[in-house]
Amino acid sequence: MAKILAKNKLNDVIAKLKSAGIDLFGPVRDDKHSWYGPVEEAGQLALDLILTDRTLKELFFPQTEPLLKFEIKKQQVDMQEMSPPNRQRVIFAVRPCDAAGIAIDDALFGWDYKDSYWFKRRNDSTIVSIACTAADEFCLCTSLKLSPDSTKGSDILLWPTKDGKGWRVEEITDKGKEFLGRINELLEDSEDQTAAVANVPVKFDLDKVVAWLAEPANFDSSFWREISRRCIGCGACTFLCPTCHCFDIQDEGNTYHGVRQKNWDSCSFAMFTMHTSGHNPRPTQMSRWRQRIMHKFNYYPGKFQANSCSGCGRCTRQCPVDMGIVETLREISKSV
Amino acid sequence: MTAEGNEHIYKPAMMRIAAMRDEAPQVRTLRLEFVDAADHEQFKKNYRTGMFGLYGVFGEGESTFCVASPETRKDYIECTFRETGRVTSTLANCDVGDMISFRGPYGNRFPLEDFEGKNIVFVAGGIALPPTRSVIWSCLDQRDKFKKITIVYGARTVADLVYKQELEEWSKRGDVELVQTVDPGGETPDWKYKIGFVPTVLEQTAPSSDNAVAVMCGPPIMIKFTLVSLNKLGFKPENVYTTLENRMKCGLGKCGRCNVGSVYVCKEGPVFTAAQIAKMPAGDM
Repeated sequence: MAKILAKNKLNDVIAKLKSAGIDLFGPVRDDKHSWYGPVEEAGQLALDLILTDRTLKELFFPQTEPLLKFEIKKQQVDMQEMSPPNRQRVIFAVRPCDAAGIAIDDALFGWDYKDSYWFKRRNDSTIVSIACTAADEFCLCTSLKLSPDSTKGSDILLWPTKDGKGWRVEEITDKGKEFLGRINELLEDSEDQTAAVANVPVKFDLDKVVAWLAEPANFDSSFWREISRRCIGCGACTFLCPTCHCFDIQDEGNTYHGVRQKNWDSCSFAMFTMHTSGHNPRPTQMSRWRQRIMHKFNYYPGKFQANSCSGCGRCTRQCPVDMGIVETLREISKSV
Repeated sequence: MTAEGNEHIYKPAMMRIAAMRDEAPQVRTLRLEFVDAADHEQFKKNYRTGMFGLYGVFGEGESTFCVASPETRKDYIECTFRETGRVTSTLANCDVGDMISFRGPYGNRFPLEDFEGKNIVFVAGGIALPPTRSVIWSCLDQRDKFKKITIVYGARTVADLVYKQELEEWSKRGDVELVQTVDPGGETPDWKYKIGFVPTVLEQTAPSSDNAVAVMCGPPIMIKFTLVSLNKLGFKPENVYTTLENRMKCGLGKCGRCNVGSVYVCKEGPVFTAAQIAKMPAGDM
C-alpha cells in the first residue's frame, strides 16, 4: 500500500498549513506568464504546466534583495540591516529540475562566507516536487545525468497516479517528514498505480563535453566564435536559468536616504566585467558565451563537484535567437 | 564580516574620513577610521598586506580598491583612488568627517615571511603604486628583516606620479634605492630623474635577481613588458608577484564576475605570482 495525496484535498492541505502559519507557494500564471508564486486556493495552481516560464530560484534569491537601508544626516549615517521575511513556507508542485537547481546553488552560497539571505529562505522552505509525466523537446535533465523523477533538492517527491486524481507521496528528507506529519490525516492508503514518468531522450554525451572543455587549448578554439554568432547578449537565458546566480550590489536613493540592494546580473552583459579604465577582460559576446558554458560545466564542477545546470531547457526554450546551451553542448559532443 | 554565523556577509563597517590628501590630478588618498571598535578589532585581526576592500558611498554604491596602508599600521585604512566612476567621483567630493562604508579585508596577501632575508625589487606604474606602497611600507617598517630594497616607479607625466611626499621621503632614506621615471615627453624642465618607460628603466637599473623577489603593479601593457625585462634580469616567474584588478561586486566568491578562467581573483587573489598567471587563459584577462 502507498500513501496517496488526492488533488481534491489540496484546499484542506492549504487550510492546515495556514492554521500553522505556513504559506503555500506553487506554479501560478496569468494570461502571459507563469512562475512560482503565493497560492491561497488550490484552483490557482497551474498543475498542467510542463514547466513555469520563470524558475524557482527567485523564491530564494529574489531579483532584487534589499540588504540595508540608510539615512544620511549631515556627517552622520544611520544604517539598518534588512533581512528576509520570517515566514515558513511550503513550495508545492515544483519540477525536479527546479528543485535540483536550488541544491546546486547551495554550494555557491554556502562556501567560505555563508549568504544568510539564501539560507534563511532555504531553512524556512519545504520543497514538494512532482515527478514529470510530460516533457517537451527542450527538456534535457537526462543529458545532465538527472531525471524527471530526480529527488535532488526536494523534501518530498510526488508521483502522479494513473487515474490523474492525485499523487503517491515519497518522503525524502526530515523536513518532508515534518510536512507529511502535518497533513497525515488527509492522505489515503491505496494501491500504488503511478503513471510512467516522461521519456526525456539524452541529447549529448556530457562526459565528452566536460572532457573537451577541460582541455586548455580549446579555450581559444574557433568553435566559440561560430557557435555564439547569433547571441544578442540579452541575458534572458541567465535570468531564466534555475542555477545562474550572478549578481550586482547597487545603491538606490538620494542625498538623504536610500537602500543598498543585491540585484540579478548577467555574464551576457558587456558591463558585467568592464573595468573603470575601459578595459574589458571579456569584450565580445563570444567571450561572454564561452564564460557561461565554461562556468557551468568546468569552473563550477571544479569547485563544487556539480555542473551548474539542471537541464530545465528554459535557456533554449525562451531564447529570442534560438540558441541556448543544448546546441552548444551537442556540437561539442559531436565534434569529439 | 565573519565567515560563519548568521551575520549578513554584505554588511559593511562604518568608517569616518579622518584626513585626505591630493596625490595627482583626480587622484586622492583618504585616511579612514573605524566608527565601531568591534569592526576595528576585526580588521586588526584579519588585515594583511595585499588584501582589498569594498569602499561604499551611501546612495552611490561600492567600489573595489586595495588597502594602500601596510599591515604594520592598522590604526586606520588608507585608500588611494582616481576619480572616474560614479562612486569615486562622489568619494572625491566627501569631506573630512563624512561617513562611508567599508567591507573587507578580503582576498589573499603578499607572503612577506617568504621575502625575509631577500632583496626586493618593486616595480610600479602610475596609479598602481598604492597596492605596491602597502608592501613597501610593510618592509620599511621592519627594515632589518629584508636585504636591499629597490623601487622603480614611473608615470606618464610628472604630474601623474602619486605619493610625491613619500617618494621624497624614500629618496632621502639611505636604505632604499628609488628610481623615478616619466614617459618621454612627460618630463618638466626641472625634472631631475629618469626619462623612459618603466621596463627600459628597470633594465638600466639592473637589480640583481640573486636571492631576490620582484613585486610589480601597473597597467596591463606595463606588466606585459616588465615581465619580459624581469625575465632578462634572471627573475624566475615564481619569484615575481603582482596583483590582478578585476571588477568585483561581492568580494566573497559569489557574484560571479572576477574570475580569470577558473580562478576567482577575489578569493584566490588578488596577489599572484607570474608563474600562476602564466597558467591562466590569456584570453580572459
